[in-house]
Amino acid sequence: MTLVFIAWVNPSSPAEKSPYRIGVNLELTGPWGEVTKIVKMAMDMEVERMNGMGGIEGHPLGLVYEDNGFDLARAAANMTKFTRDKNIQVVIGPFEDNLQATTRAIAEREKITNIIICPSNPMVRGLKQKWAFNIAQSDIIVSQKLVDLSLARKYKKVMVFHGAWPLAQSLAEYYKRFGEEKGLKVIIAKETHKPTDIDMTPQLIKLKPVIEQERVDALYASTGGPPGPIICKNMRALGMKIPIIGTHAFGFGFIIALGGEAMEGVEFGAGKPVVPDQLDENDPVRPVVTDFDRRMKAQYNMGIDQIAGHAHDAIGLVYDAMKRVQGNVTRAKFRDALENTKGLKSCHGVYTYSPTDHDGLSKKDMVFIRIEGGKFKRVKLPGFE
Amino acid sequence: MDSWTYIPQLLASGITVGAIYALVALGFVTITRACQIINFAQGEFVMLGGLLTFFLLKDLTPSYPLAASIAIGIVVMVGFLMYLSVIYPLRKAPMLIPLIATLGASIFLSNTSGLLFGTLPKALPPFSGEHPFQMLGVSVLPQSLWVLGATFLLLALLYLLSHRTFLGKAMEASSTDPLGADLVGISRNRMVFLAFGVSAGTGAIAGILITPVFFTSYNSGTILGLKGFIAAVLGGWGKNTGAILGGFVLGILEALSVAFIPAGYKDAVAFAILLLILYFRPKGILGSPFVDSRRW
Repeated sequence: MTLVFIAWVNPSSPAEKSPYRIGVNLELTGPWGEVTKIVKMAMDMEVERMNGMGGIEGHPLGLVYEDNGFDLARAAANMTKFTRDKNIQVVIGPFEDNLQATTRAIAEREKITNIIICPSNPMVRGLKQKWAFNIAQSDIIVSQKLVDLSLARKYKKVMVFHGAWPLAQSLAEYYKRFGEEKGLKVIIAKETHKPTDIDMTPQLIKLKPVIEQERVDALYASTGGPPGPIICKNMRALGMKIPIIGTHAFGFGFIIALGGEAMEGVEFGAGKPVVPDQLDENDPVRPVVTDFDRRMKAQYNMGIDQIAGHAHDAIGLVYDAMKRVQGNVTRAKFRDALENTKGLKSCHGVYTYSPTDHDGLSKKDMVFIRIEGGKFKRVKLPGFE
Repeated sequence: MDSWTYIPQLLASGITVGAIYALVALGFVTITRACQIINFAQGEFVMLGGLLTFFLLKDLTPSYPLAASIAIGIVVMVGFLMYLSVIYPLRKAPMLIPLIATLGASIFLSNTSGLLFGTLPKALPPFSGEHPFQMLGVSVLPQSLWVLGATFLLLALLYLLSHRTFLGKAMEASSTDPLGADLVGISRNRMVFLAFGVSAGTGAIAGILITPVFFTSYNSGTILGLKGFIAAVLGGWGKNTGAILGGFVLGILEALSVAFIPAGYKDAVAFAILLLILYFRPKGILGSPFVDSRRW
């Protein structure tokens, strides 16, 4: 009651205006715990900065975290809880594919915007849900970028060894489709792997004779997380020397730490935050990336990576859309504003949404990376950015 | 492509994996022989061995052997502590209760290390050299030889311990005939206490050996524990050699199965073997004290 009273006598003071809350539904515990910690740090820092700039016309932004513990039921419960809280205008997260599918369905039913950090399952994305927005590079643009990489390296024949989950599978299929349009011969291996496999040697032993017989130029490991370095390590242990192409999921420091020497020479396309200090002078997002990198280093003493970049962009997109809302922010007005985002320069690239495109980024927002000397090195390939 | 051409390379990979299963199974069998309990936290000892060495190597000392020995020491302490806090208070309860308590300890250990060490997997550098060499037309990692060598060395050490030292003989006596051991004045509780230390140490060594080849994360103990358990069932709970045999048989069968069926099903092979052995020879290859041999 007192608060309402103060708000009424002091309408112009920013601190008194009710905050616009952002629900964050993340895997703060469980296997992604270490990664989501970075997301939380980056988001806290960004929200603090935006509130320092006066928030949204005096309304501060507020983050409400709920841990879903890598558990489908808890992710759904968190999402429902957020939708019941009228102060929450938008929900960010979760990470994991099957968790996303559920929260997106709830978002659609309850009419609240759901911003998805990690690339989505193509089948779910294909639903063209009105209230869900993706901020990461989609399987389509990653595949286009990797086809460019293969063409620039003059590979004629590439074998794809993909994971047995929908995103990895779709990356493999798009790569084959786009590759064959450009005259690349793509063989999708019959053997697959699971995210929990600790040893890919048996699969690779079966692929090795095929690779030698067909004179395959490179192997594309369409996967994410620990299987990436496991594949590289196992291939080198079996004496397979052909070049390895990775996905954007290879662009994390821990991947190099796991794979060690076996990661040398692996090439892939990834988001710009992987190489914050190697961007072109005239890159439109260079100022955003370097500024964010500098602030993360100052506050937490750690450089940025793709995940920190996604966290930055999620908050940046919310802030930008809320700024453009006329009058008080409501869930519906916020959604429409977010869908009208045009050319927002953020960490991962230039975001443009439209009623038909909820993916935001394009092929231009990715760079080619090569692992050299245990570090990510940006490579420029003539004719292909 | 003829499936048979893969066999030598698959065999090499199966032997390495088998050695690890064997070490985990050895840990299971050590505790089971001492107190007829299956310690479901065995896989966690393996995980702790690998993760602790990683952090000691990073933060405390650059010396690999030193870091590994400290890690083994810590894990042995964890084994002792686990006995004192989980098994000893429940020693008079029916057998099922300590069994469930070890499951609880396993969840506790894996989550605590997730909290302390982070949730991303870790890899140790190999003991010597990362480059494979060719042997009989098969490429082999130096680390695989380390794994094999260490497994046999450990087996020999355990043999010496149980046949040449007084303490080891007492442990052996207590597990062969508990009543007889009680009558000659061997403290069974102390023997079980020691068995937990030996088992934790074996697990830690397994963890240190495999972390350079396979990655270790806070939750990787579960699957290793399960495979070690199957290996122990396969070899029989009665003898250390049974565990070793079971481990190698399981590792090799799992790897060879890949030549004939898609690799995605290789975990299923292990569990199919478990069912078959339980149907047709529940006491395992070398026998088990759990199963009355007259009935089978």
